Amino acid sequence: MLVTTFAGLTPGVFYGIIGILLTLMSQLTRTVNFSQMAVGMFGGYVGMTMIQKLKVDMWLAAFVGLIIAAALSGIIGWIIATWLPNAQIATRSAVTVAALLLIVSVSSVLFGANHSNFKPLLQTNVAEIPVAGVKLFVSQNLVVLLLFALVIIIGSSLLLKRTMFGVRLRAISDRQAAAELIGVNVKVLNVGVWVVSGALISIAISFMPNTISNDYISFSLLVIAGSAAALVGSFKNLWLALLGGVIIGVLQGFVASLPAFAAYKEWVTFILILVFLLWNQRKEVWDVAR
Amino acid sequence: MSLVLNDVTVSRGVGPVISNVTLEIKPGEITTLVGPNGAGKTSLIESIAGVIIPSAGSVVMNDVDITKFSKRKRARSGLAIVEQGRMIFPSLTVRENLQLTARTKADFDEAMALFPELEKRINNNTVLLSGGEQQMVVLARAFASKPKYLLLDEMSLGLAPVVFMRLLPVIEGIAKSGVGVLLVEQFAHLALGIASDAMVVTSGRVSYHGSPKKLTSDAELMRKSYMGE
Repeated sequence: MLVTTFAGLTPGVFYGIIGILLTLMSQLTRTVNFSQMAVGMFGGYVGMTMIQKLKVDMWLAAFVGLIIAAALSGIIGWIIATWLPNAQIATRSAVTVAALLLIVSVSSVLFGANHSNFKPLLQTNVAEIPVAGVKLFVSQNLVVLLLFALVIIIGSSLLLKRTMFGVRLRAISDRQAAAELIGVNVKVLNVGVWVVSGALISIAISFMPNTISNDYISFSLLVIAGSAAALVGSFKNLWLALLGGVIIGVLQGFVASLPAFAAYKEWVTFILILVFLLWNQRKEVWDVAR
Repeated sequence: MSLVLNDVTVSRGVGPVISNVTLEIKPGEITTLVGPNGAGKTSLIESIAGVIIPSAGSVVMNDVDITKFSKRKRARSGLAIVEQGRMIFPSLTVRENLQLTARTKADFDEAMALFPELEKRINNNTVLLSGGEQQMVVLARAFASKPKYLLLDEMSLGLAPVVFMRLLPVIEGIAKSGVGVLLVEQFAHLALGIASDAMVVTSGRVSYHGSPKKLTSDAELMRKSYMGE
C-alpha cells in the first residue's frame, strides 16, 4: 500500500505542473486552456512515431515534439488573440475545447491505433528509501518533474515581478484593452505565452511516468486532473496548484492499492473537484440561507 | 501640425451616434468638448484613439492619416488617451504603471513630478489608492509616454470637484509643454475655463464650435447649445 501510494507522487507532480500551467494561462490570457495536454500529446506522439518509424534518437524526437507542441499551442493562441481578443473567458475557453477535440480527431487519423506507452527520457531511480520494511523508489522522473515545477513557479514569479516583460504581461492580464491603448503589443505577448505554455507541457511530458496513460484520448483528458489541481489553487495560486496535483496523485495511488477500489482511482479527481466546489460555495449557501 | 478630424461620423449598432464632426486640436492648446449624456462625446474620442473606426471621414495627425491605424500604432505615433473610469492596472504599483509608458528615466521623473503626492505611494498597488490618486496615476502614465496629443475623457467622473480642481492646473501645464489636449468633460464651466477652443455636441451633432469665453459668458447660448437649438 505504501509503495503504491508513494508511486502516486510522480503523476501527482505531473498533474501539478498541468495545474500550474493552466493557472498561468488563465491569469495571463484569460483562458482556461483545455487543449493544454492535447498539444503536448500531439507533439509527443509525433516524437514517438519518429522514434518507432525513423529510428530517430529519443532526445531529438523529444525536441521535435516540443517544437510541434509549442507551434500548435501558438496557433490556438493566435486564433483567440486575433478573433476573440475581447471575448469572455467562457467563449475563449470554449475555443480550446474545440481545439482539444480537433487535435484528438487528427491524432486518430495520423497515429491510428498506436496506443503505445510513452517512454520517459529518464528511467532509473535515484534513491531507495526503506520505510516500515518496504523500499520506496525515488525515480529520476520524480526529481526532474519536481524541480521543473519549482522552476516554473519561481521563474514565472520572478519574470512577472522583476522584469518589464512581466509588468506588460500583468498589465494585459489586468486590462487588455487599456494595455493596447498605451502601446503594449498585446497580440504578440499573448501568442508568446501560448507558445511557451506548449513548450513547457511538452518538456513535462518527456519526463512523465509511463503508467499514467496509454492512448491519445486519455492522455489529452489528463487536463481534467490538471484542472482539479488548478482548482485547489483557485486558478490563482501556483504553489497550491502543485499541492493539489500531488494530493490527487497520492490519493489515486492509495486507492489503486486497495484491490476493491483500484478500478475507481480516476474518481478521485471528480470527487476532489466536487468537494472543492462545495467548499468554495459554503459562504454563498450560508448567505442565501440567511 | 495638428490633430485634425475631417467630417468624422461614428456609427454603433443601428446608426450614427455622432455625425460630420470637423475639429482641429493644435499643439499647446486645450480644446474642450462638452455636451449632455449620450451626445456622442465618448464615441468621438474613441474614434480618435482607434477603439472604433469612423464610418466616414478621416483622422489626420501631423499630416499623417491615422484613420486606419491600430490602437497600438496610434499610441506609438504620439497619441495618448485617458479613458473614462480610471483605467489603472490594479495589480501593478504606481511605479510599474508609469514604467509601462515611460521610455527613459527622465520621462518617468517628469511624469512623477506632475504629482509629488504620489511619491510616497510609488510602491503601492494602484488598487489601494483613492479615486483621485488613481486618476493622477493614469494622467501621469499618459504624460510619461511623451504624447503629442492627449485625449482626456471625463476625468472627473466619480471624483469630488475639489479633486478635479487639483487635476486642472496639471492639464494646463501639460498643454503648455506643447501637447495638444482634447478635454471631454461634464464639469463644463471648469473645463471651458482652461480651454482655447470649445465645442458642444448634442444628439450626435455639433451645436456650437467657437470661443469658450463666449460660451461661458452667455448663459442663453450655453442653454441653446446644450438643447441643440
